[in-house]
Amino acid sequence: MAIAEVFVRYDLKEELGEKKVAAAKDPLLQKVMDAVVEGDEDNIIALVNEAFKSHDPMVVIREGLVKAMDEVSRLWNEGIYYLPQTLISSDAMLAGLEECERKMGKSMERKGVVVTHTAEGDIHDLGQQIVNALLRANGFEVVDLGKDVPVDDVVEAVKQYKPAMVTGTALMTTTMTAFQKIANRFKRDGIEVPFVCGGGAVALEWVTSFDLGIYGKEAQEAPPMADDAVDGVPWTKIREKYNT
Amino acid sequence: MAKFTKMAYKSADEMIFGTTKKPVKYGRDFELGGGMVYPEIVNHPRPGSEETKKSLMREYEKMTQESMERAVTLGFPGLQVELEHVWQMTKNPDWGGDIAGQTVRQQEDMYQKYGIKSAVRATIADNRKPEEENIRDCRNLELALATFESSAKNKADNLSMESVGGKEISDHSIARGDIRGTLFGIGVLGSRDMEFMWKQIVDIANKHGATPGGDTNCAQANVAMFMAGGMLDKSVSHVFAAVTRAIGAARTLTAYEMGAKGPTKDCAYEDPIIKAIAGIPIATEGKTCACAHADLQGNLIMAVTDLWSNEAVEYHDMFFGTTAGCFVEILGYDVALMNSAIALGKEKDLQEMMVYSDMYRDPHTYVVAPAQAYEIGKEIVANNTDYYSRARAGAICAAKLILGDEKMRLSNYEKEDLQRILRELESFPDKEADFIDQCAAIYKKSVPGFNLGNYGL
Repeated sequence: MAIAEVFVRYDLKEELGEKKVAAAKDPLLQKVMDAVVEGDEDNIIALVNEAFKSHDPMVVIREGLVKAMDEVSRLWNEGIYYLPQTLISSDAMLAGLEECERKMGKSMERKGVVVTHTAEGDIHDLGQQIVNALLRANGFEVVDLGKDVPVDDVVEAVKQYKPAMVTGTALMTTTMTAFQKIANRFKRDGIEVPFVCGGGAVALEWVTSFDLGIYGKEAQEAPPMADDAVDGVPWTKIREKYNT
Repeated sequence: MAKFTKMAYKSADEMIFGTTKKPVKYGRDFELGGGMVYPEIVNHPRPGSEETKKSLMREYEKMTQESMERAVTLGFPGLQVELEHVWQMTKNPDWGGDIAGQTVRQQEDMYQKYGIKSAVRATIADNRKPEEENIRDCRNLELALATFESSAKNKADNLSMESVGGKEISDHSIARGDIRGTLFGIGVLGSRDMEFMWKQIVDIANKHGATPGGDTNCAQANVAMFMAGGMLDKSVSHVFAAVTRAIGAARTLTAYEMGAKGPTKDCAYEDPIIKAIAGIPIATEGKTCACAHADLQGNLIMAVTDLWSNEAVEYHDMFFGTTAGCFVEILGYDVALMNSAIALGKEKDLQEMMVYSDMYRDPHTYVVAPAQAYEIGKEIVANNTDYYSRARAGAICAAKLILGDEKMRLSNYEKEDLQRILRELESFPDKEADFIDQCAAIYKKSVPGFNLGNYGL
């Protein structure tokens, strides 16, 4: 046996195909799409303004920005894009969206509100930041409560913003215990909101041991879960869909 | 502050597990780096036990007892117990202090009865939030320092920390594959915060006769490493994590320039580089931390260790005993193998096996192998004019080493990403002040709450 046979580089057997992206309706929108797909935050605003010469801002959003982000999501799901590419595309998309909203003089209607937080005692909020970016790029309004958030603050925010969904992230098993307390407070106060919990040592068995809890394994599950929540799918069905 | 200007070792080949240039003695006849490797167990309390001080103290009492008893039962010469604080132990300084005192007393009893060598490491939680508060003057800092005091007063032997300076920038940047922000967040801001924190930690340790242990780039380089994950993950590229580790080494070195003595923190995968430069005993973790995360350097990271750890294992029943005993057994037998190799004069043979079992498994693994760690260390030391220059030099060295070894196979994506990283690193300004100006302008816009004042800038 050669030393090289001690392990197998499965990653090298998995070389993926080239990046092919759907075409836009015209060259100006194509440039907007390309900028989002390439994560070109430096040029997106100029390109969006160029597109305004022949398109209404809503068309730029729908046929340029959103369509491009759909392609980014597809590339990520197919394993062609890595997370950093997805996030810088999200940054570019949101910068372009802000410019369209400025042109329209109003904010685009969002799909719904999601309240996100990182558990009390936990300062590891990168998972939450990624969830925030993906939700925003997929058309949701995110109320970001930050990290190390006490149970009372989460409950108060949910009463104030009435979100379609709440998320909680935690790295440690001893900080994730706050999630059950939050869910119990929601139940006590008659709040029936899907509560998606994930991160680090958080496990499916724990999260599904209490009402409202839905286990979020990967950050990219957050937008489709929020779509379901906005569509009125009850937490029991969302849990069934993602956790069984 | 005296910066390292030369390597502790003449060559990578001189480095071996169990022996260091600057051994450390503390605790109950416990010596690190003096010719033997020891195990270090990190037990983590079960969810719910942290609800009250009484229940948490009881949890730690049981975990420590079972760990020490397993070590005695199996005839292990010594054991270090790490108390890696859950946040309640740092936000309530008396909790952290009393648990340290209780653990020391348990070890004293076992030492009196059986003569087992032992020590306690107290790792205080860094709960500061750089984007939300003044991390040089906030309640979370006061509590952390008070907990260092209470732990040292209660005779914790080793004071350590996993500090988080620059994390607001590095989190943002690592997730986006942005090497500029990663170099800034870790290499510049992280190092400056280390200087601030470790001055105070060393003072507290010296005041109470404790040993200032070490720090780790867990909050930053480990984020990149964990996100890179296994072979099939598609988060951060593995080459990005490898280069980030070299940057992390330049940052973690600051603790030892400020007076920390080691043994270092187990989750500091940059420690082989630290040992090469500073010559202090290091703690590492690999296959034994499978309970906490998957590891692509399970054997290799033992190659120059002095204290072999398990990261953290939650306390649960097993078929025989609990995790607190089982993981001591796993660690203890690994250590026995290393010590046997030393006793038989076969340590370099065993080290070679450790290294070759993993070195080409992953580029991050590659850069922490002794030969590459030594080369990266040399570049850090040779460019030790300021934090930025040394971190950048270490990063460039890591990238070139990976690209220059044809046995280190990379996917097309990883290779292109590494070439991109190297191009960017080489394009950055030569002067630290220019780099800081450049980064300040970029990240004040893109990272909400970022405050240069947190870093004395």
